Amino acid sequence: MSGSLESFVGQSVMIISCDGRCFSGTLKGFDQLINLILVDTHERIYSTTAGMEQINLGLKIIRGDNVAVIGLIDEAVEQEIDYQKIRGEQLNPVVH
Amino acid sequence: MLPLSLLKTAQSHPMLVELKNGETYNGHLVSCDTWMNINLREVICTSKDGDKFWRMNECYIRGSTIKYLRIPDEVIDLVKEDIQAKAKNRNQNQNQNRNNNNNQQNRGNKNNPNQHRPNPNRNRNNVNINKN
Repeated sequence: MSGSLESFVGQSVMIISCDGRCFSGTLKGFDQLINLILVDTHERIYSTTAGMEQINLGLKIIRGDNVAVIGLIDEAVEQEIDYQKIRGEQLNPVVH
Repeated sequence: MLPLSLLKTAQSHPMLVELKNGETYNGHLVSCDTWMNINLREVICTSKDGDKFWRMNECYIRGSTIKYLRIPDEVIDLVKEDIQAKAKNRNQNQNQNRNNNNNQQNRGNKNNPNQHRPNPNRNRNNVNINKN
């Protein structure tokens, strides 16, 4: 089932966590419970009044319970986006 | 690489643990298990809004309450060394076992050169059965 995540290992990914936060980083590993290892992690904080702010968090283990979405980052598209111009509301937490 | 092997390698390193309720715990990892339950030493607990702090010598955190853990960057290189060391040990053990087995076989052949000969009593037994 988690075979498809295997193809994400070593690539840049974007994680949206259940509390509505956004993390980008390189996926180094995962397990059956979708616990993740991310290296060179940055938290991306969007706001409606200023550009996106990135906070460096380094090496992280994210517990699978807290993972809502794992997305593969297209580096070519990523380079073209000017995040300082992007405005947006923060995501709401997942409602169970 | 598995998240839990990284966590195991991070033993004795400092780390930050955020719980699902938003509290964070800063401390040195003493031990962990396969449920991600962890034991921390020299802990500073910070409340969700970051305005209250508690210091404690030791604490135990149930794995299921954890949201994420932040670990020093250098720990990921230690895991690779761990894995390589384990693989090396395993190869050495395998070679040792193989040598032991070979020795045993050789010894067995020397002591009992007739071990592959058919049992001379077998035919006699068959005859008895037929008689009965």
